[in-house]
Amino acid sequence: MALKTIYTKYQRAILGCASVLGSILIWEFTLTYVIPLNPFFFTKPSLIGVAFKEQVIYGALWGDLAVSSKAFLWGFSFAILLGIPLGALMGWRRRAGYTLDPFLTALYASPLVALAPLIIVVFGVGLFAKSVLVFALSVFPFIFNTFAGVRSTDRLLINVVKAFGGGEKDLYFKVILPSALPYIVAGARIALGRALVGIIVGEFYAASEGIGYAISRFGDTYRLPEMFAGIFVLMIAAVALTEGMRKLEALLAPWKATQETR
Amino acid sequence: MATNNAAALLIITPFIQARNVGLSFEPKNRQPVTALSNFNLEITKGEFVSIVGPSGCGKSTFLNILLGLLRPDTGQIELDGTPIAGPGQERAMVFQEFGLLPWRTVQANVELGLELKGIPATERAARARELIKLVGLSHFENHYPHELSGGMKQRVGLARALATDPEVLLMDEPFAALDAQTRDLMQAELLQIWERTKKTVLFVTHSIEEAAYLSDRVIVMTARPGRTKDVLKIQLPRPRDYEMRLTPEFNDIKAAIWNTLKDELIDRSGDGA
Repeated sequence: MALKTIYTKYQRAILGCASVLGSILIWEFTLTYVIPLNPFFFTKPSLIGVAFKEQVIYGALWGDLAVSSKAFLWGFSFAILLGIPLGALMGWRRRAGYTLDPFLTALYASPLVALAPLIIVVFGVGLFAKSVLVFALSVFPFIFNTFAGVRSTDRLLINVVKAFGGGEKDLYFKVILPSALPYIVAGARIALGRALVGIIVGEFYAASEGIGYAISRFGDTYRLPEMFAGIFVLMIAAVALTEGMRKLEALLAPWKATQETR
Repeated sequence: MATNNAAALLIITPFIQARNVGLSFEPKNRQPVTALSNFNLEITKGEFVSIVGPSGCGKSTFLNILLGLLRPDTGQIELDGTPIAGPGQERAMVFQEFGLLPWRTVQANVELGLELKGIPATERAARARELIKLVGLSHFENHYPHELSGGMKQRVGLARALATDPEVLLMDEPFAALDAQTRDLMQAELLQIWERTKKTVLFVTHSIEEAAYLSDRVIVMTARPGRTKDVLKIQLPRPRDYEMRLTPEFNDIKAAIWNTLKDELIDRSGDGA
């Protein structure tokens, strides 16, 4: 009875952990007892664990992660700084929207990763080129989601603020931006995924350090456990960033967060 | 002598005066609509006036013109002798759909007008608390609008409108979205607040009963394009209470308003058929 109540209370966590642990066990078991493991082509969790421990505790992955983070931070920050105002402008000023729309739609729809070789040719190998690639990939979700958020602003609330004597600036800061905020945060989550793709692809193409470079180098030299360790580090970073974004949303938009939990 | 003249002027000049106000809309891909034409209105200071009329007769449009959000095509409106050119501190609106900012707490919503007026933070916080108390929402200062019932939301709307201490309170079907009992309660409280604050109130409603119960005068409008059909003076003593609505006199007043309004409603349904 008591066990059952504990189970219903933590159902989500228990089932989630069970599926992850189960998958790892099946993977390990299959490659140990069912199919003989060829370490050139594949690897198994126990070997990844050892590599992970070496790489994370003694190894160079921290340095690689720091290098990649730098490009991420620069590119992502500029995407926020440029994307949100541009999206707000396009949403609120009809003519600005019409003017910029064709370029942005084309660029958002295309796989901009294809620009990676060009960016590397123009900006060379290194932090700057990677930041540019991250920026190019992650700026569009900010623009479009801010745009959509601004467009969906309730006219009534605009009229309310106008009626109480609010000017253009008040409309932006007291109505339009708060109302677009949940859209912007949703855009940030999409941008996050695209930014990570930007880093990794940039480092695959041309780099001498960074987490993407580490993964590609381990792959090239058939050190699969180390390669997977790198991939897991990336995964952990991505999950942490996404969760951080959710926390940020609760902090920035408390009216929204309390609404969801109800 | 001069003061006598001034006093005489105050009596002659109405506080709000609308002359020949007309406004047409041109919706995209549709025929232009004349919402108001040759609309006239005079209101004295401290008066409670209601406007009733068929849907689409332009009563809300007129309220928005008076608020300064819309500009009339023709005619003019003066408030205390000054033409209305835009929104102003001396007017505040209570909106039908509440119009509360969902990302602001009750307290911050009530502070909105004061904030836009540039009142220092501590002062506006104190003023907002005062108004929140007046509408009976103490202890709900830190709630968000979605945590409140419809009646509570409109109390916030009322507190917000009163916070800037306007001379004129414009109310656009403020209780239309509320259930019948909450509505009765809100009407009684509005009367109490009005008697205490002595604001000039212009109240738009669909409800004959509401108009009769609250107002000094009821303006009945024609179907579109809206103009004044008749003005009825409500001769009920004040303060009014709920029991008054059960008297034969009250029913006579309702019947009088209904008889004036009836033809407009029938005309309109005839149009649609």
